[in-house]
Amino acid sequence: MTSTTGASDLGVTVATIGDRGAIWRRRIAYTLMIAYALLMFVPFTWSVVTSFKTLPDSVRMTFIPQPFTTQGWEFAITKLDPPITTLFLNSAVIAAVITISNLALGSLAGYAFARLRFPGRELLFLVVLATLMIPDQLRLVPVYLLLNDVGLTKGFAQYIGLVVVLAIGGSSIFLLRQYFLSIPRELEEAARIDGAGFFTTFYRVMLPLAGPALSAVAILTFQGTWNGLFWPLILLQDRAHYTLPVGLLAFRTAGGFTNNWPPIMATVILATIPILILYLFFQRYFVEGVAASGVKG
Amino acid sequence: MTSADVPTRIPVTRTPKPGARIGSRAEALAGYAFVAVPMVLFLVLNIGSILYALYISVWKWNLRSGPVALIGTKNYTDALSDPVFLIAIKNTLYYTVLWVPITMAIGLSLAVIVNQKIRGRTFFRAAFYFPAIASSAAITTLFIFIMQPDGFFNGARAALGLNPLFNLLGFSDSQNWIGNAGTAMNSIILLNAWTTSGTFMLFYLASLQSIPSQVYEAAAIDGASASQAFWRITFPLLRPGHYFVATVAVIGGLQLFDQALIGGGVGGDPNNALMTMVLYLYNAAFRQFDFSYAAAIGIILFVVIFSATLLQRRLFGQAPSW
Repeated sequence: MTSTTGASDLGVTVATIGDRGAIWRRRIAYTLMIAYALLMFVPFTWSVVTSFKTLPDSVRMTFIPQPFTTQGWEFAITKLDPPITTLFLNSAVIAAVITISNLALGSLAGYAFARLRFPGRELLFLVVLATLMIPDQLRLVPVYLLLNDVGLTKGFAQYIGLVVVLAIGGSSIFLLRQYFLSIPRELEEAARIDGAGFFTTFYRVMLPLAGPALSAVAILTFQGTWNGLFWPLILLQDRAHYTLPVGLLAFRTAGGFTNNWPPIMATVILATIPILILYLFFQRYFVEGVAASGVKG
Repeated sequence: MTSADVPTRIPVTRTPKPGARIGSRAEALAGYAFVAVPMVLFLVLNIGSILYALYISVWKWNLRSGPVALIGTKNYTDALSDPVFLIAIKNTLYYTVLWVPITMAIGLSLAVIVNQKIRGRTFFRAAFYFPAIASSAAITTLFIFIMQPDGFFNGARAALGLNPLFNLLGFSDSQNWIGNAGTAMNSIILLNAWTTSGTFMLFYLASLQSIPSQVYEAAAIDGASASQAFWRITFPLLRPGHYFVATVAVIGGLQLFDQALIGGGVGGDPNNALMTMVLYLYNAAFRQFDFSYAAAIGIILFVVIFSATLLQRRLFGQAPSW
């Protein structure tokens, strides 16, 4: 059970001696692991089941909705204010814009920090690292006042304010810089000798090689922005500008929706489905991205 | 993080390569151009905002009125003498002290499991990380539904015949887990341990894979059992991993906000049981619109987080190699 990397090979050797205890331990371990893995899915399964129930039925411990109804879904799709389509669109556009901006700004800066030599580079990189340690809550008041001063807290400009705050994360730069450091220098030197400029070398030679790191940054940024609550809650004050998480929070206390579990569960599912689809298709990048952000070099 | 970073890089940057224009003017200009936008944003919205927050915090400053009067440290002394803020600090520390070790222990156990050459390891890894993909808003809403008095959790433990055990621990058959001041924060700890242990698993997994297999081969030759190998080799060799995960976890824990707000509303109900430092800060800024008071709370929060990080560095000895 508790052996690691290389030890598991040796564990097999021990088991083949005919140790029945080891076989049983293995079975018990597998049973526990499968049970725990299933436990991960139970709450989501329950939310799907509940979304097809009536309200009185939603508090019964039955896995078959009795009667089966799509009223909860109809409520979630037609009766929310702002409509769920608005929330969905807001979340999607904001997450897409911020992902693209993190990829563009992060890869340029990551490349510069990894390869280009300029005075003050180490100091500026320290600033990047420092941003990873400054809590967002400390920035709440000053950032809000700054945005307010330049008119980015009202009307449509709220979107712009949010994009400015989330346009580039220190972790995006860090991840991409680490990846560029791992690419052999010879490739870009060949391009430089052929007379390519710095941007051309970056764009034509290095960027195409950074696929895995770009994918990891894209997935992590998209997921983080899609799921994020703190900044949208503060900067998107108009209801029409809400994202899905802010909407979910508002609906918790809205009349006719509070404790009306079937439509709430339908909304929870709708808010989660895009990330779920991403996870099913790009599971590897989720795993690698999170792991890479944990290794820090 | 930074101190170890710089020395390893210097040999790379200082090695002159023939044919490369070392530190040319054009290269420096390109470098500045490439980092310009992020650096301006960071210097204004990160570094600048700390200084701005410090400045705001010594004023009486409302969103609508702007700066009214210079009041020195009054915002700080007011905060530290407000019983609700002291409860918020206590709750936040309670949450962090319990949630961090629980989630690290689960994350490490899961990492050790999926690091083995077992059948279906990709499935297990994907399953264990799965709860981390949903938003805090969605997962907390779902959790509230499951933990309500006539919810799935209470139903499941009744069906499994676990109620005598729960009664023994002092919980009623229709316990209102999040609506009861005694169990609200513990329920949030459970929720976040469940959703975050998969992330910590991935952090630990990266660390585990950096341990060379020869170490285990040597231990096996010496007749070490699997549990000895874990406690004598894996656990101590994971020290950089522990340090990183603990640091990230403590910083995250002290910023508990989303789940407290969704679970207990702006009041941190019931009876301030879910009032956290960040929730208190949010209320000061966007309920009372007392921006200078909120700025002072932000500074206090930063000091707490920074001290915790330094304390961990001290506890774990020298800075790890990353």
